[in-house]
Amino acid sequence: MKPATDSGSRPPDPSFSRHALEVRDVGVSFQGVRALDEVGFGVPSGGVSALIGPNGAGKTTLFNCVSGLYRHEGGVLLDGEDVTGLGPHARAARGIARTFQTPVLLDELPVLDNVMLGGHTRTRSGVLATLVAGGLFRSEERRLRNEASRLLDAFGIAHLAGTVPGSLPHGDRRRVEVARAVMARPRLLLLDEPAAGLDADEARELLETAMAVCDGAGEGTTTALLVEHDMELVMSVARHVIVLDAGKLLATGTPEEIAEDPRVIAAYLGTEIEEVGR
Amino acid sequence: MTEFIQQILAGLAAGVVYAGLALALGVVFQGTGMLNLAQGELATLSAFGAWSLVEAGMSFWLAFPAAVLLSAALGAAVERVLVRPVEGAGPMVLLAAGAAMLLGLNALIALVWDTDPKTFASPFGASSVGVGEIRLTSQQVGAAVLVLVTMGVIAALFRFTPVGLKLRAVATNPDSARLLGVRTGRMLALGWALAGAVGAVAGTAAAPIAGLSPEMMAGPLLLALAAATLGGMTSRGGAVVGGLIIGVAGSLASRYVPGLGGDLQLVVPFAVIFAVLLLRPQGLFGRAATVRA
Repeated sequence: MKPATDSGSRPPDPSFSRHALEVRDVGVSFQGVRALDEVGFGVPSGGVSALIGPNGAGKTTLFNCVSGLYRHEGGVLLDGEDVTGLGPHARAARGIARTFQTPVLLDELPVLDNVMLGGHTRTRSGVLATLVAGGLFRSEERRLRNEASRLLDAFGIAHLAGTVPGSLPHGDRRRVEVARAVMARPRLLLLDEPAAGLDADEARELLETAMAVCDGAGEGTTTALLVEHDMELVMSVARHVIVLDAGKLLATGTPEEIAEDPRVIAAYLGTEIEEVGR
Repeated sequence: MTEFIQQILAGLAAGVVYAGLALALGVVFQGTGMLNLAQGELATLSAFGAWSLVEAGMSFWLAFPAAVLLSAALGAAVERVLVRPVEGAGPMVLLAAGAAMLLGLNALIALVWDTDPKTFASPFGASSVGVGEIRLTSQQVGAAVLVLVTMGVIAALFRFTPVGLKLRAVATNPDSARLLGVRTGRMLALGWALAGAVGAVAGTAAAPIAGLSPEMMAGPLLLALAAATLGGMTSRGGAVVGGLIIGVAGSLASRYVPGLGGDLQLVVPFAVIFAVLLLRPQGLFGRAATVRA
């Protein structure tokens, strides 16, 4: 188990380049309330890592900082590249895709269009080029459409392609949202409670499908970081776990290390994690 | 029967202009939630711009695209400079901004070109086309084709390009689109530019028939509002269908309903607006606003 340290005084980590995500001293306050305080950690490249912590620990806030939705103190590095000064669109263009606690879908657009939209960062046609030679970009739109159709098939929701998501049950909305995030072929996939509304098997299948699609896309390594309350799921899929508590980093390590950490157990997990970790 | 068909065709020809304006209103409304009362004045400004270029010796077929491009740029500039600073201030502020732009542009047009009506020579000539006794002027046909082609291009842009996908996303829900990394500000400006371009085409197409004056689009804007209300503010296709229905209804009413000729035919769009708001507020093809619990 790596102890939680003041990342400001931490010596330079020579393995930065092996981190898909490096969070350095990230802090953010809302009306005087410190939601995140000098949080620093690295997420190893590839596979699934998990960000856990009690309610109010700052997990979703951290996701909002990493994806650029919140202005924050400190730095965020993606595969060693500093993306701190970039807005959400620029971070998305560099390979950060995410889902939300409550799926954020465009409820009036068909499911297929929603998923296609996930690939918008990979399109080449700009506004002016489209206006001047719109027809030339028809093939690009067709490529997105075909790709999105294949993704819907992979996630088992091909039959929903023409449906507007406003009428879908939560589980299907979740699948659509994850498919859309995967459509971006992200380098970093941030999944905020992907298992919510799904049973354990469905959640595991959803994660496995997402990672399989990303790995099969042949566009470099995808790293998934998930916020999740289902400890059984976390302990079985994550190779690395980061624990937050009250806006501060509490611990990082392997699932086994986290399961045995008395501070984590005291702060959050109780006895359940010990049972899962054994 | 021949006269009835003639009235329908004349109504369709006029309705295409209303449809173009209604489409422009709908594109702006979807993106920013703003009922752009100045859409007619923007179209009028474009028509005057094209007229000035023609008067200066430029061919209509060069002046027309130049005016459309300038209007698109003006639309984007209006969004950036006048609308964006107040876009989160609520519907009343946006409505007031639209009214202020209407009055300001109207005064600007009168200041630059004065208030005397001007003749905009038809680029399509003075002949007529048709079958048998059913005739339309070449200007009516040409203007309708011009607007229809423009609307077709806009529809294809929205439907078949990645930029169109982002435009639809922003029009549907700008907040969600922003969360997905779509540059919503750029897309909103593009929406205004497209609305400016469509309005310019509609205005320039209408000018040879309506006569060029600062108030030339006041009536068509009212009819376009009725068209957008009828078809649905959130439906681009609905706006087009609404425009055609309003055009035909106005044409038939002015001919067959006693005492409803001339300006009084504006009763028709008012009646349509009231009826739609009472019976189907979202319009024929629009979607009702829903809030997910």
